[in-house]
Amino acid sequence: MESLIAAVICLTIALSGAIRAIIERDTLLRLPYVNVMNFGIAGFIVLLLPHPLTLGVAAAYFIGSTLEANAIASAYARREQQ
Amino acid sequence: MFEEVSRIVLATATAWILFLVIDVFFRLPQKGGVSGAEAIGSAIEGRGGNLYGGRMIGNIVSSPDASAGILLAACGVFVAGIPGGLAAAALVYIGNRICHDRGYAGTSGAVVATFVIAGFMQAGFLASDFIVGSVLAVLTIQGISHIHASRLIGRLWRWRA
Repeated sequence: MESLIAAVICLTIALSGAIRAIIERDTLLRLPYVNVMNFGIAGFIVLLLPHPLTLGVAAAYFIGSTLEANAIASAYARREQQ
Repeated sequence: MFEEVSRIVLATATAWILFLVIDVFFRLPQKGGVSGAEAIGSAIEGRGGNLYGGRMIGNIVSSPDASAGILLAACGVFVAGIPGGLAAAALVYIGNRICHDRGYAGTSGAVVATFVIAGFMQAGFLASDFIVGSVLAVLTIQGISHIHASRLIGRLWRWRA
């Protein structure tokens, strides 16, 4: 596996994003760390299994998680306003 | 191994510059695209960061932006060459529409990145270097210090505005 170093770096960054998201107290400021985790995982999925179909899997994971973050942030912001 | 690490460092610098230039060009720091992005901007400002930088961080969270475009384009080029990169751009476009993002930062980022990565591959780089490069680039903006990253983006935004 020629891209082993690349995969290890992606996984390490995903883990660091997850840990920072757990440590952070403010819900809204957790989301950028979750975003870092999503980047790491989407990259790791493709590096782990290099196949054209994997691109669809990584994009579906990434877009789905972005939509989730979008929904959480919007709902949280609207609740704070009320 | 040393060679791969130096390629990753160069790819990170390229992805970082490309991602910030495209996002600032498409005016991501100007306003929060959705209410959540605006709220993240205000929360970062409340901690001592820059409001414009905070809004851009919020926009990156809430919709696939140029950094996501570069990551998915690198993945596309890694699995299927230039057609894969363009397929990734189409997927990012769908993602933008799902997230109600009116801008084209993500799609343009993916198309530009596809050709930039293809060019670098002529010079001996691998597409996997750019996958790691874009993940590291987003780590520096979103995952280390929101206050310092937002101030840096705020400074870039002052030049653009």
